[in-house]
Amino acid sequence: MPPESNSVERLREIAALQGVSPADKDLEGVLDFLTRILPALEAIELQLPPETPP
Amino acid sequence: MIDEFNAFLYFEPKEGEPTVGVKDVIDVAGMPTTAASKILHRVPERDATCVARLREAGAAIVGKLNTHEFAYGALTNSPHFGPAMNPWNPEHTTGGSSGGSGAAVAAGLVDAALGTDTAGSVRIPAAYCGVTGHRPSAGLVPRDGVFPTSWSLDTVGPLARSAAECRRILDLIADRPLPEEPGRGLRIGVVTSLFERADPEVAGACEAALRELPGRLEQVEIPLHEEIETITQLLMLPEATAAHGEWLRTRLADYGPDVRARLLAGLFLPSTAYVTGLRARRWARQEFERELGDYDLLVSPAMPTTAPRLDAIAPDFRLQLIPYNSPAALLGLPVTAVPCGFVEGLPVGLALWGRHGEDGIPLRAAENYQQATDWHVRTPVDPANARKLYTTRHIHPGRG
Repeated sequence: MPPESNSVERLREIAALQGVSPADKDLEGVLDFLTRILPALEAIELQLPPETPP
Repeated sequence: MIDEFNAFLYFEPKEGEPTVGVKDVIDVAGMPTTAASKILHRVPERDATCVARLREAGAAIVGKLNTHEFAYGALTNSPHFGPAMNPWNPEHTTGGSSGGSGAAVAAGLVDAALGTDTAGSVRIPAAYCGVTGHRPSAGLVPRDGVFPTSWSLDTVGPLARSAAECRRILDLIADRPLPEEPGRGLRIGVVTSLFERADPEVAGACEAALRELPGRLEQVEIPLHEEIETITQLLMLPEATAAHGEWLRTRLADYGPDVRARLLAGLFLPSTAYVTGLRARRWARQEFERELGDYDLLVSPAMPTTAPRLDAIAPDFRLQLIPYNSPAALLGLPVTAVPCGFVEGLPVGLALWGRHGEDGIPLRAAENYQQATDWHVRTPVDPANARKLYTTRHIHPGRG
């Protein structure tokens, strides 16, 4: 099974734990989004002054 | 449809002036609130406070205006109610999410409209439809009776033909009076990167408009501009998803594909991402204040292009607009969008950004600009015929 299929499967399991049942196509879109935003999130966390409160 | 441009989802003819249409995420007593969705259908007993204040001032509230489904997108193309069409060319989008508001004002169906702006949803349709729109400072206009998109970013703002009309409406719906502000002798920052990213003809129209602005122009950049785009999403997505709660479990298939995709994305962001978003917003505000806090106004093209064709919306359309919309959304700044020209028959908008709490400055600058120009009085429809565009009044198939 290619890695992307594995990832979609894992997302489906996490969704099911929250009572949500998305289609595979929807989860592939989520995967694309996470692939874009999580590295950007990490970059922000590295730059963010550590003393900054919420 | 009840009007030629599918601007209205619900219309109740009323006598009285001025006429105001209300985006269909804002409650109007006795009229259904659907958010252009298949899921929400409530008939509120009470007006939202912003609507009540307009009604008390003598406005005739004539109906509910089309929107992107749940106001969660940059178009107005609900699969349940159909697209709003741009009065300047009905084959083109109005933008959104307050697209019905933009179309109704542009076509002269109403004198003014209320929209909401989470991350551009007043400014986009104002620019694309050639009308004036104002995104208020965060916290200035009450949001009770408004279905939320993102609690910490949502604002309610007016669209009308002129900045003076927008100011009159804002004065009525705001929680506090707008302070009088100087309209001339301003220090104005020109956001260079947003001119460079725009289509050359759009940028050209906006550059021409700079000559009419009353102040000293300096080139500036938004600090942390790219990061702001990400930070906005870190806050908006989880908040939007949280607002839909149980519907994700029980009505997921009833959302349109694009809104469903965004709501699901919010479901999978880690909770730490939201906290990082809150911290990073504070950081971005500090950096903005440090670098640009002395500027009375910032100016940029409101949008990088004119309204695209309804049948040729690029897959990355929404992403192209984010750099233009996210900074003011995240930082809670007021922005007045004014018409400043045309490219191939479609309007171009200029964005005037103020400091938080100083809505009067961009509005006054817009009023001065509109005293020197006539872009805002040009209309796609002969005003004498505008009311005839209310056609049949059959029940829309998307209405529950």
